[in-house]
Amino acid sequence: MLDTLPTPELPSQECPRRARTQIDLMLLAIEALDLGGSEAMLAVAQDLGLDPVVKGRVNLWLLRSTNPMRRYSQRRPMTLEEAKAMVAIIGNLARRLTVLMRQLLTGYQQLRDRGLSLDHHLRLADYLQRFRTHFRARMNPRRAGVIAYSTDERLDELAMQLLEQLLLCSGILGTQRLWSSLFDGEVV
Amino acid sequence: MTVKRQYTLPYCNLVLEGIESVATDPYSPMTVLMNAECQFPGVTDTTLTGGREFLDSLVSAVSAYGQHLLSGVPRPTSANAPLVDVKPGEGSVHHLIVRQQPGGEPTVEAEALAPLDIPLTTVQFYDLMEAVDQLLADSQTLPDLKAQFQAVSRRLVKPAEPMAKRSAPAVVGAAALVAAGLALFFVPPPEFEPSRIERGSETSEVLDAEAAAEGADAWDDAPTITDAVTLTTLRRQLRQRLQEGWSTDNAPSEILVYRVVVSETGDVLGYKYENDAALEAVDSTPLARLAVPAVDAEAPRQAVAQFLARFTPDGQVEVEVWDPALATEEERQAAEDNPTDAATTTENNATDAAEPSEGDATEGEDSENAATDDPEDQGNQADATSTETADNQPQLNLDDDPQTLETLDSKITDGDRIRDLNQDLRARLSESDLPNPSADLIYQVRLDAEGNVVGYEAINTDALLLAEDTPLPSLVSSRAASDDQADFRVVFTADGVIEVSPWDGWPQ
Repeated sequence: MLDTLPTPELPSQECPRRARTQIDLMLLAIEALDLGGSEAMLAVAQDLGLDPVVKGRVNLWLLRSTNPMRRYSQRRPMTLEEAKAMVAIIGNLARRLTVLMRQLLTGYQQLRDRGLSLDHHLRLADYLQRFRTHFRARMNPRRAGVIAYSTDERLDELAMQLLEQLLLCSGILGTQRLWSSLFDGEVV
Repeated sequence: MTVKRQYTLPYCNLVLEGIESVATDPYSPMTVLMNAECQFPGVTDTTLTGGREFLDSLVSAVSAYGQHLLSGVPRPTSANAPLVDVKPGEGSVHHLIVRQQPGGEPTVEAEALAPLDIPLTTVQFYDLMEAVDQLLADSQTLPDLKAQFQAVSRRLVKPAEPMAKRSAPAVVGAAALVAAGLALFFVPPPEFEPSRIERGSETSEVLDAEAAAEGADAWDDAPTITDAVTLTTLRRQLRQRLQEGWSTDNAPSEILVYRVVVSETGDVLGYKYENDAALEAVDSTPLARLAVPAVDAEAPRQAVAQFLARFTPDGQVEVEVWDPALATEEERQAAEDNPTDAATTTENNATDAAEPSEGDATEGEDSENAATDDPEDQGNQADATSTETADNQPQLNLDDDPQTLETLDSKITDGDRIRDLNQDLRARLSESDLPNPSADLIYQVRLDAEGNVVGYEAINTDALLLAEDTPLPSLVSSRAASDDQADFRVVFTADGVIEVSPWDGWPQ
C-alpha cells in the first residue's frame, strides 16, 4: 500500500515540520467535515493494513501531536513510514467525502459570487464552526503559527483552504499528489 | 485503427484519439496520440485541442499547479512560456492559460493571437486534474505518460523568511566551523601539544558566540513567560546587567535596538538586532559577553521571555517587554485566566495524562476550557520560584528607590474627611490603566487633607516589583498641601478590582 509513495530525498529521515503540521490540519478538517471522522481514521488504518504503523488511538494521537502547533505538542519525530500511513488515511477518507466537499466548495463559490456571508450555507457554516472549535481546543494559542489564526475570519480562510486541499487529494492519484506536495522545498 | 479514450467528469471531458500499438488487437494500449480534446461543459464552450505537445504541457501544468495548491510552495517557472499554464487568480479562481497554436490554415499573425484564459473554480480545476490523473493512471492509454510527481527542490525555493531565520544559527555555525577548519588546515602542525588544546577551545567559543548572536529566533516557539512579576524582575535584571556592562564612552550616534531572549533564571539565551545600527555596533554592547549559548539549540523547551533593549545615544539602556503574543485579545484573556489555572495545576496534570486515552475522538467542544497548555503551567511555576527568590534577595536593584513612608505625626481624624478622601482616591485610581497582576498588590498610600498623594509604600513583594505598572507613581505630588495626612490601604487584586480602605480602619 505504501510502496506507491516514494521516499523523498530529505536531509534527514524524519518528516519535516511543515509536513507534520499539514497532516494534522488536514485530519482536523476531516473531523470537522465528518462527525465520526476520528473513528473513521482508525477504521481506515485497519482496512488498509496500516495498524502495524498506526497502532490504535493513543498512537494516532501521539502521531498527530507531532504537529508543532499543538497544545500537547510531542517532541518525538514522525518517521517517513508513519507519515506515509497518515497520508494514505487522509487520501482514503477524502475520497469518501468527495461529494460533500464538492457541495461545500460550490456553495462557497456561490456565496462569494453574490457577496453573501458564509452563514447562509448551513452545512458550510457547520463545517467552519466545527473546525474553529477543534482548532481552538487543540492548538496552543501562544505559538507564533497559531497566533496568525486568532480571528474567526483567518480560521475560516484556513478551513476553506484545507477543504480545497482535501478535495485535491481525493482523486485517483490524490494520495501521491499530497505525499509529493508535503516535501515541496524540502528535498535535496 | 483509431481508438478513442474518454475521461468524463462533471466539469471536464478529456477525449484522446490515437492508434493502438498492435493494430489487430483491440486490447493493446494506445501508444500514438493523434488528437487530444478538452472540454469544460458548464464553464465555457471553447474546446481545447492539440497534439501530444499540447497534452504533455496540459499534464505538467495541471500537475504543477495542483501541487502548488496543496503545498502553498510556488514552483519555479521555466524560462520559455509553456503551451499550457495554470495561474492563481483572485479568490479561489484558477486561470487556465492556453497559448493558441496557428490552426490548419497558415495564419500570418499566429504569434499575435491572444492566449485563451479560462477561469476555473476549485471544483472545476479538480475535475480537470482528476481527468488528467485518470489518464495518467490508465495503463492502456499512452503508457509512456506516467505520473511523475516531484517535490520542489530546496534550492529552487526562495525560502520563507521564518525558515531562513530559523536555519540561520545552523548555517552561521556550519560556516564558522568550515572557516575554522580551513584555517586550521593551513596552520602547520603544532610543535607541542598544549597549544593545540588551546586553539581547539578558542574555536568552539567562537562558534558558541556566533550561534547565540543570531539565536533569538530559535526561541520563537519556546513557551513564553507571561507572569507579570517574573517579567518585571527579569526586565530589571536585564536592564541593570546591560547598563553595567556597557561602557558609555562608546555611546552610539543613533539608538541601538535589540531583541533579547532571557530564560527564567535571567540568562541571556539569544539576541537579535532590530535595526541596522544595532547590527554594526553589536560589539560595543555587552550582549555578546552576557549571552549564554543554549546547550541544545534544537530543543528550546524552557520558558523564555523576550525583551526589547534600547541603547540610547545619551548612554541609557532601556528595556521593555517584547511580546507579540500578549497583543491579541485572546492572549489577554488567557493571561487573566492564569491565576485560576495556577490553583488547578494538579488537576490539569491529571487531565494531561488522561488525554491520550480519550483521544481526539471524544475531544469535544467542552475540552477547550478544561485543557491548559504547558507554557501556562511553566509560567506559573516560574511565578512561584521568582516570588521566592525575590523574597530572599532584598538587593533586587530596582530602577528607582523603593518608596517608603515615615511615621505619620499628625493624622486626619475627621471621619467624614477620611471617607471623602477614600472615595476620591478610589475614583482617581479607577480612571487609570490598571496592572494585571497574578497576585494581589497591596500598598499603603498617604494622602494630605486635599487628597493629594504624598507617598506610598509597597506592602508585599509583588507590589514592590509592579509599582511602576500601577497609577500610583504618577499620582504622587511633590509637596504636601497640609501637615494633616491619612494613610489608606490600596489593593489591586488579581481579579482586577481596586480595594481602598482607611489604613487604621473605618472611622466610627
